[in-house]
Amino acid sequence: MDPAKDAAPKGHTRTRSAVKATRPRASTKGPLDAVDVPLTSPLSAQPQQQQQALHHHHHPSPLPRSTTHSPAPPSHPRMIPAPLGPSRSPVPIFVPGPISPLPRSAPHSPAPPRRTLPARPKDFSYLLRPDVYHAVAADNVPAAFRVASAKQPAPDTPIAELLARGQFRAAAAAAAATLTTPGRIAPGDGEAIFGLLYTRLACLMLVDATAVAAQEVKALEDLNSVFYLDEVTGVHLVPWALRVLIVRLQAMGFGDPRRAVMGYYELAREARMRLAEAMASHDNSERELWKERLADLGVRVAGALVEMNDLTGAAQHLASLKEGRESGKLTMAKALLWLHLGDAEAARRVVKAGEMGEKAEKVVAALCDMADGEYGAALARWEELDEQSNDEMIGVNRAVCLLYVGKMQEGKTLLEGLVASSRASHTLLFNLTTMYELCTEKARDLKIKLSETVAAMDESPSGWEKSNADFKL
Amino acid sequence: MSQPRYQSHDAVKEPHAISLKVLRLSRPSLVTQFPLQQPLSSPSTIRPPPLPASLAYSPPAATNGDANGDDPNPDPFILSPIVNLPPSFGQAYVGETFSCTLCASHDAMTPAESAALGLLPGASRKSIRDVRIEAEMKTPGAESVVKLELSPPPANAGGEGKRGLDLRAGDTLQKIVNFDLKEEGNHVLAVTVSYYEATDVSGRTRTFRKLYQFICKASLIVRTKPGPLPAGRDGARRWVLEAQLENCGEDSMQLEKVVLELEQGLVYSDCNWEVAGGQKPMLHPGEAEQVCFVVEEVVDSREGEGVQEHEGRIVFGILGIGWRGEMGNRGFLSTGKLGTRHVKPRERKVTA
Repeated sequence: MDPAKDAAPKGHTRTRSAVKATRPRASTKGPLDAVDVPLTSPLSAQPQQQQQALHHHHHPSPLPRSTTHSPAPPSHPRMIPAPLGPSRSPVPIFVPGPISPLPRSAPHSPAPPRRTLPARPKDFSYLLRPDVYHAVAADNVPAAFRVASAKQPAPDTPIAELLARGQFRAAAAAAAATLTTPGRIAPGDGEAIFGLLYTRLACLMLVDATAVAAQEVKALEDLNSVFYLDEVTGVHLVPWALRVLIVRLQAMGFGDPRRAVMGYYELAREARMRLAEAMASHDNSERELWKERLADLGVRVAGALVEMNDLTGAAQHLASLKEGRESGKLTMAKALLWLHLGDAEAARRVVKAGEMGEKAEKVVAALCDMADGEYGAALARWEELDEQSNDEMIGVNRAVCLLYVGKMQEGKTLLEGLVASSRASHTLLFNLTTMYELCTEKARDLKIKLSETVAAMDESPSGWEKSNADFKL
Repeated sequence: MSQPRYQSHDAVKEPHAISLKVLRLSRPSLVTQFPLQQPLSSPSTIRPPPLPASLAYSPPAATNGDANGDDPNPDPFILSPIVNLPPSFGQAYVGETFSCTLCASHDAMTPAESAALGLLPGASRKSIRDVRIEAEMKTPGAESVVKLELSPPPANAGGEGKRGLDLRAGDTLQKIVNFDLKEEGNHVLAVTVSYYEATDVSGRTRTFRKLYQFICKASLIVRTKPGPLPAGRDGARRWVLEAQLENCGEDSMQLEKVVLELEQGLVYSDCNWEVAGGQKPMLHPGEAEQVCFVVEEVVDSREGEGVQEHEGRIVFGILGIGWRGEMGNRGFLSTGKLGTRHVKPRERKVTA
């Protein structure tokens, strides 16, 4: 690898070339960089390294900075984020603000860092900077939702209420506002910051602003760095759900979908470790939790492979997963993947071999008929299913089938009936507006009317506000 | 599909009461989803139900106290079982069946329009009868056009007889055409709509025609290479036929089958994924798959030579390739006649 790295333990002969080498490394960091993190136990190595890191800030000369090339885990400056600017000087960003809780005097303390004291709070003030968060414009929201809607929430509505009302755009804005209001959140309050950040990112994804989320998530930099570990317990300070979410967003932000696969594997390694610990300590609930998370990651890897259009890879990966409590879901995932790939035969085989509920089996059978172009047979299956349950998916698929057999009018009525019963998934609206486009030259009027109907619906956690794209406006 | 070009057959310039809309019916696609955990939920509960808004469709109401027990949504997987209609025309490839729906609708007037004429909203001052759709396809090579069959066939019970269908305001006559794409290049789908427009005092037959042009591309490049093999046990001549199948389209395809249709007096054995017990090969754009067959002459003691030679050339037959695209969209191609110049195999020099 890097020859400078080999030379590192020899001492202060490491000079400028070594310094230069650190920079590109920091700017292209990814899951693979993390290999040096878990190898050293955070309990033993970190305090020492922390001290080194702090020294760097006080001596920003090239020489001490080069100590980052010691075989020790990455040091503090790497974690101070300056992702938006081209220069990555660790110093200016670290200027302690008046609210920074980080004890500046720490490096001067002669006390050895192996302490029994509670961990010092970390400084997450870089996540409270307004420039991290972008405005989410409402210009892709149909007028029916913006104008004259009494449902648009007041600016001071609490986030929990916004979420319960399905006001995700407002919730995303409120989360960012809370984070960036000076004095509102303490820079050391990781729990609050990460909770808000999760809300922010999740809501952005729900309002079709995933690209914005993928940009904002860059502010977190490398989640695998020891900076994000609790100094005493070694536990990761970022909640699991946020870490899982960040994997995909960072991969998108860097335009490299393979990073997602690597990121999930990185998390899976930790999940395995925790699972082993839980088993060793006979902690049943912990064990179940980590088993669940591991299974979840397995399915997400398959999703990442689908996003990379590596469908055969995804199929092989799904086949390699262990059937857990929810083997029906796994079988369904496999069947859908084969269908997506075009192999209806394989989908049928998977269902035969796996364990699935009766309804799920019938759903796959109907989708297989559609894949074979047997829309009449598929329609009969959807009709049978539709009589047995009140399910949006079945209604929509039945209506789509109706269009393929030349009965679009019937399909349109069916979809309008679903809207009348307060269903409003993106898929339902997309299919209905497509039918509107087919049945008149004046589809725009019908689309606007539909958007008014949906805007008049009650707010719910399923989401209230829709975008222009949902109505093809 | 490019913008339709209008070709008026009417002397009258008055706008038509019937509109024609088309949608290419490729396979519907599975909708993707990114299930998210509820924000603000306790981090350590086991598998909290995902945020409903992050799923592709709303989960059905819980039945029998078993929350979502029978919901087939495989969250957190990316694919869900709900489907979308084709969002766009996409690419048309040789070997596929082109399906398209044609919708002739009697447009209801907007409230403003009917108010201007002093009518009730939604009413029409004209009645529209005998609506008929006809479709033809013009292919690049052909001089003439191919008349397309429309489905579903007119149902007399539904009022659509030979004359066509009477359409009330807001009603649509929907037809579907299927056409096997066999040539590369410009195709034109020509749709003619005719109807009888009756007012209180008079009536007339009106017709209009719309042309939809699209380009059909090759999806697969097939390169073949025959080669001699040492003769078989009973002196039958043998050849190896190799073929390279390259996906030159923009979509992935899964090869379903490769078969030879041989001339009389020849048999073949397949040396490909099926005999090897492997998966059907997936070809991403730009990828190629090598396939291979051993062709052998049938030596019948009564009949003598098994295969005919024409001017030193032996014709094997044709190679057929079947594939499936996304959501099972089918394609099938066959080559022209493949063969080889009969070269006597060198005496036992080539080892099989």
